[in-house]
Amino acid sequence: MSSRRSSRSRQSGSSRISDDQISDLVTKLQHLIPELRRRRSDKVSASKVLQETCNYIRNLHREVDDLSDRLSELLASTDDDSAEAAIIRSLLNY
Amino acid sequence: MQPTSSMKEEFLKKWQMGLQIYRPLIDNTSVSERRKAIKLSADVAMASLRKGTTCWSRALIQKTATEDNFLVRQMLSGIKAETLINKKLPKVMCHRKIVRRSKKILRRRQSRSAIEEVAAKARKLVKKKTQGLRNVVPGGEFMSNDVLLIQETLDYIVSLQTQVNVMRSIVDAAEAGSERTAYYLGKLKFAIEDG
Repeated sequence: MSSRRSSRSRQSGSSRISDDQISDLVTKLQHLIPELRRRRSDKVSASKVLQETCNYIRNLHREVDDLSDRLSELLASTDDDSAEAAIIRSLLNY
Repeated sequence: MQPTSSMKEEFLKKWQMGLQIYRPLIDNTSVSERRKAIKLSADVAMASLRKGTTCWSRALIQKTATEDNFLVRQMLSGIKAETLINKKLPKVMCHRKIVRRSKKILRRRQSRSAIEEVAAKARKLVKKKTQGLRNVVPGGEFMSNDVLLIQETLDYIVSLQTQVNVMRSIVDAAEAGSERTAYYLGKLKFAIEDG
């Protein structure tokens, strides 16, 4: 009986420490994500923060893909002598 | 925790270096090849900001190396590239299953109050969401520790913001420049045609 009690408290003790750590980190996440930072309320649940984090990261990935697309289109003109080509070349240190 | 200007500068330099390496290819290939080159250089540049100190950056470098080993080796200094590419990432902790099973047994033995039920449900939901995080953060599948996962996520987000910030500035400037040039060229053409 006592062993069960002590094992239970031991388990909850260690999980309490990492729960605190996690909630601390989740607060940091909340401040980093524009969507949540705007709301300014600290009543956002941990699962909501994590969900928004996933969405945010996915959006950033999409934006990198989109920017890569646009840049590859722009680079199509670097072989000719246009002013646009010169601009892009100087921006990319070509 | 924001992208600093030194981070942005460093990213830009490394990215430019990657694009230089690709230069002979960029001029002669298809749009999709170019796009891949741009994205891969940007990813290696972003990962190299951390100099192999974070799990996500090592995972990203390894992943990029499978797509273009040559580029990664060129972009990172010779010796470092070897260790980063070949460094074994930790295997997925399989003791998770054992922990889950023993937790299940413990749960069956305990009777829980309503409050404990709610807390348990919340914890379950958080667990589900952290699993989602593992899918989007490079190397996430190797981070069984939730604390580590979120720490890595924080760093990864700041790095992604740096990458997006710089790329956006370049692309916007280039597009604006070409639009403005086209606009003035158009105006000039119009003026010439009008006599």
